[in-house]
Amino acid sequence: MPVPDIFLQGLARGWQVIDARELDSDRELEADVIIIGTGAGGGTSAEILANAGLRVLLVEEGSLKTSSDFKNDEAKAYAELYQEASARATADATIGILQGRTVGGTTTVNWTSSFRTPDPTLAHWASEHGVKGLDSASMAPWFARMEERLGVAPWAVPPNANNDVIRQGCEQLGYHWKVIPRNVRGCWNLGYCGTGCPTNAKQSMLVTTLPAALDKGAVLVHSARAERLSFTGDRVSAVHCRAMDAHLSRPAGQRLTLRAPHIVLAGGGINNPGLLLRSKAPDPHQRVGKRTFLHPVNLTLAQYERDIHGYYGAPQSIYSDHFQWDQGTSGPMGYKLEVPPMQPSITATLMGGFGMQSLQRMAALPQSNILLALLRDGFHEQSQGGSVSLRDNGDPVLDYPLNDYLWDGVRRAYLSMGEIQFAAGAKAVMPSHAHGRLSTSWADFRQQIGELSYRAHDVRLASAHVMGGCAMGEDPQQAVVDSKGRHHQLENLSILDGSLFPTSIGANPQLSIYGLVARLASQLAEELT
Amino acid sequence: MPDTNSPSLDRRSLLKLGLGATMVLGTAGLTASLSGCSSSAPASHLAVLRDSDLPLLRALYPAVIGPHPTFAEADAITLATAQLDRSLQAASPFVQDEVLNLLGMLSLPLTRGPLTGIWGNLAEASPKQLETFLLRWRDSRFELLRKGHKAITQLLQLSWYATPQSWAAVGYPGPPQV
Repeated sequence: MPVPDIFLQGLARGWQVIDARELDSDRELEADVIIIGTGAGGGTSAEILANAGLRVLLVEEGSLKTSSDFKNDEAKAYAELYQEASARATADATIGILQGRTVGGTTTVNWTSSFRTPDPTLAHWASEHGVKGLDSASMAPWFARMEERLGVAPWAVPPNANNDVIRQGCEQLGYHWKVIPRNVRGCWNLGYCGTGCPTNAKQSMLVTTLPAALDKGAVLVHSARAERLSFTGDRVSAVHCRAMDAHLSRPAGQRLTLRAPHIVLAGGGINNPGLLLRSKAPDPHQRVGKRTFLHPVNLTLAQYERDIHGYYGAPQSIYSDHFQWDQGTSGPMGYKLEVPPMQPSITATLMGGFGMQSLQRMAALPQSNILLALLRDGFHEQSQGGSVSLRDNGDPVLDYPLNDYLWDGVRRAYLSMGEIQFAAGAKAVMPSHAHGRLSTSWADFRQQIGELSYRAHDVRLASAHVMGGCAMGEDPQQAVVDSKGRHHQLENLSILDGSLFPTSIGANPQLSIYGLVARLASQLAEELT
Repeated sequence: MPDTNSPSLDRRSLLKLGLGATMVLGTAGLTASLSGCSSSAPASHLAVLRDSDLPLLRALYPAVIGPHPTFAEADAITLATAQLDRSLQAASPFVQDEVLNLLGMLSLPLTRGPLTGIWGNLAEASPKQLETFLLRWRDSRFELLRKGHKAITQLLQLSWYATPQSWAAVGYPGPPQV
């Protein structure tokens, strides 16, 4: 084994890690703090609370997969490391949702882009959503602390050709572009971040905060779903969990009852509201699960005369914010431009078409590039996001309605991306759309975009950023928790992850979660000790 | 042009059935299992997909993927189907049901004929018939049929190009070994 498996080494040293699927009887466990979820929010909280001397008990619905399991294998990764085996989608299936579910959560499978929360976003939260005390100046040291903790730095290696399209096109057009900061140390520049880092270079929760917490005596229970909270008065009295089945499709095994004086929810958007709704937690103003945001993503495919090989090399290293704030914080929808990695399985679904058309597009994979736009949702009255409810079996589902405000953003983003791709030398560009066709000129592309149908399923939409649904804010009529992440109705419940955000971020959210949660968990540690 | 023909055809088909598209799609799996036309049990070597789904997938893979040279290999579709099944095994109960309902609807004559325009067994349909069906769903004015088109094409593309057999023909050298 050329790469030391940090996690297996820790297990050998005696870390307390329980695979709930292997239990042969029901269990009861106690701790000082229970953290439900092990992603960006749960991992960051765990390290801080464990360092404060608290006995931490972590629960994760996904299984434990570590660097020795990661073989740059799309098929295994999508089935094992993502929510609903990467088939999670909005209620009407118009937006596919890539969200991690494994020890380390999405941080184990994300593409490493690490941006501080943009100043206009924090200002908007303060002025429009009653968020108190989280201004840019006071957040800066927390971002700096987590950047240091996780090795966040602008990518110093030249971008791969897929990312370089953004640089080249934006240079030509005089548009903004910049190098993306990544949370890596000793990165091999392989390009398979989305299938789990095989070299432990990515500074995910799996190899940073979780090991630190486990070294301090934290206990991790994985492959178990937190099904329900029970309450005594205004306190959470217990967390009721159940082991998942062998393939993590549904809870089917032994039951675990967990008790602690304080509970932290960190299961992310969709799942946190799901747990609160299943538990019938107090929600006097019907705020749980509302205003859930996705950064809906639309994409354009371009073909070049030159090799791109977008499946190799750091997946995201260049971005453009040229169209992010140019029409104000709360005007027409802004968007950030990036690229996705181009491994064949995921790329085949983005290229659209079927039959000969699909095969011809795939045959040009080595010379192809895809741009994506992260549409910044939640900043305009016409962008209220989605709402989480429960399926008959208790699984959460997000209903995310589409409207003309969003379609306008999609249309403008198609044009921005196509323009950049042509400026970078593309010989043909196509929107990711049921009726998309390769345009060989900018003029024809513009005409195509103008004539497209903007309706469900025709426009191919995806999301890798689930945010909100347990919004923070001082007004209990608007928010689930206060600006410290403390639940407005339940005295011993905190929510510490991306579900706190009252809008989307306007950037890949992981560092926003790290910085915010580091601050809030540190406050919580002081209050609990 | 399928763009202009298909909406009225879909509408006529649905009116013939006397059901809304939602009901048709929502009850297809149930109807299929009640009528005994397709067993709900997984095929012997698979976890989710049923025996009745396999001939459909055998017909649909080439229709969705196109004339990929790997189809010349005898076990190509079997390997891709096994990959699809492994993904479904790990998916949520809802996703499993949706996919089985979709495939059930394609094998049940009551729903298949009116909705796809293929009146005989879909597994024996000609490439042209399958293309016409996929275009009809892609261009339908009914959201549920467009959703069906997206689901069929994306599930098959995702699983086909997840298998190493598919890579050489599209110039993908494969993942790096660590």
